[in-house]
Amino acid sequence: MTVTDQSGAPTSYTCPWCRMSSTGAATTCPSCGAPVDVQLRTTDSGWTQLPAIPDMAKIQFGQSSCQIEGLYVPAADLDLAAGERVYFSHHNLLWQDPSVSLSTMSLKGAWNRMMAGLPLIMLEATGPGHLAVSRDAPGEVVAIPLQAGNAVDVRENHFLVATSNVGYDWLDSGVWFTTSGSGGGARREGAGMKLLKMGLDAALEGSLDIGGDTGGGGGGETEWHYPLGRYLDRFVASERPGLVLMHAAGNAFVRNLGPDETILVKPPAFLFKDPTVRFQLHVEYPAAGMKFWRSWGNRYLWVRLWGPGRVALQSSYERLEDPGSDFTGTSGHTEYRW
Amino acid sequence: MTDTAQRIECQWCHAQSLATARSCQTCGAPLDIKNLVSDSGWREAPRLRDMTEIQFGNSTCQVEGEIVPVADISLGAGDAVFFEHHVLLWKDEAVGMSVMSTPGGAKRALGGMPFVVSVATGPGRIAFSRDATGEMVVLPLHPSMELDVREHAFLAASHTITYSFVRMKGLNNILHGGGGMYMDRFVTTGAPGLLLLHGYGNVFERSLGAGESILVEPGAFLYKDSTVTMDVEQLKLKTGGISGLLGRGGMYLARMTGPGRVGIQSMYVHHSTD
Repeated sequence: MTVTDQSGAPTSYTCPWCRMSSTGAATTCPSCGAPVDVQLRTTDSGWTQLPAIPDMAKIQFGQSSCQIEGLYVPAADLDLAAGERVYFSHHNLLWQDPSVSLSTMSLKGAWNRMMAGLPLIMLEATGPGHLAVSRDAPGEVVAIPLQAGNAVDVRENHFLVATSNVGYDWLDSGVWFTTSGSGGGARREGAGMKLLKMGLDAALEGSLDIGGDTGGGGGGETEWHYPLGRYLDRFVASERPGLVLMHAAGNAFVRNLGPDETILVKPPAFLFKDPTVRFQLHVEYPAAGMKFWRSWGNRYLWVRLWGPGRVALQSSYERLEDPGSDFTGTSGHTEYRW
Repeated sequence: MTDTAQRIECQWCHAQSLATARSCQTCGAPLDIKNLVSDSGWREAPRLRDMTEIQFGNSTCQVEGEIVPVADISLGAGDAVFFEHHVLLWKDEAVGMSVMSTPGGAKRALGGMPFVVSVATGPGRIAFSRDATGEMVVLPLHPSMELDVREHAFLAASHTITYSFVRMKGLNNILHGGGGMYMDRFVTTGAPGLLLLHGYGNVFERSLGAGESILVEPGAFLYKDSTVTMDVEQLKLKTGGISGLLGRGGMYLARMTGPGRVGIQSMYVHHSTD
């Protein structure tokens, strides 16, 4: 069977990372930048480490290209052909040629994103010219080329840039739990009070991340927690193939889950998934003598992912916010007591 | 005796080193590794080999570590370096410490404290580092050079360099808004000097031709030759009524116009003085 790429040229190489075809003549995959000669490094447990995009590797999209520069905090340096467009969150911008024109993308409900504590303003850049974007943390640039009809769900705040033929939407992450502010803890007494206060401090800190809709912590008010972030960014290539670049904090690892295969992942480490992968909150309580110790912070929060599909993790993550107090409500969770 | 040894030019600082050297004696850049230059003309700052040594005056600086590099300086008697005190890592007891009087320094405050530039005088060893992943940028200054650096980006500078600062009104990262930021200015007159910067993330440099210009997000700006002009430019966005979200007056970029070098960093960490 003769395989051809989009331009009709014969191809003989399929990138093991992004599954796109190319001639294999270059040293890196033109669709995602992974080294062509890379032996996929898969752990005994089945996670494949994202091959780091070599410094100065190039990725093609449409008539434009993108060069990945740097090792610690790599920047994506885009060379846009005349009329070709990409979009990105405004604070990712590093520099641009004066010839690149920028405009804001109108997004439905963008005001809501703002209210959730995220300064989300999408800028659309139109070529010709160069423009570069980067994030503010050490890590890797992850390139996800999307075939027409494919989509990917990305943890919020990790999106770097996408081609304008990729549709952007966001959805509720669908994983949350609520705890009570001071009301839940006030019933506890004595030695519990110190632990309670520690828990409260954590809860108050947590409420800052949640934004305006909670009304802050304390006072017995309900506090909302979103271990995966409140929203997921969804990128869809509906009619034409496109490219999405994201930033992984630390290193990125991916695995394929078979149908109904599951895995438990620490919520802040989740990076992206195929839309076919579902998730739900799972809580484990360690074996311990007293109920008291079980309920005060001594629990493990997980997100359970169900196949079929791809899931990816990042090795560096933000602190998981868990006040430790009993749930007053969840998006649906399972629990296990050891 | 005639010195007949062959010399090669460093592609980063243009100083000459012996043809047998692996690293430039003046800036530490590897001499046997090719430059990494992007299509758009940005050159990556040379990745210094761990433990590379650099000479300046009667002193030596050894660059240690690669992720958050340390400048470990052995000061000769009478040599001195100046720095912001929060970059201090360790020192020999014998190294003398003093404070530089800066023009208008009392008006500038960092985190509520007066902004003070400290001076360490040899002989002895003293070491400096910053607080996050990045690259050390070694910029040897020839006599009669003038270089502008984003505030708090310099790690240490030799005493032959004159230090001052200017306030750039209206220039600040879009995430932080605010009324502007300071730019440190380093000037050499008769003698050469050594300037060490810490860039967060990765550092890239580009030479702009006369009249050539580029728009840089203020958070990415790291340094420039003083011949490069920097103007605040309001981005003309078709905002459709949400311009208020970008803060007062919209999004500002720095328009840098050549001739001269421009350096940028890929990660933005904010240390502001008011």
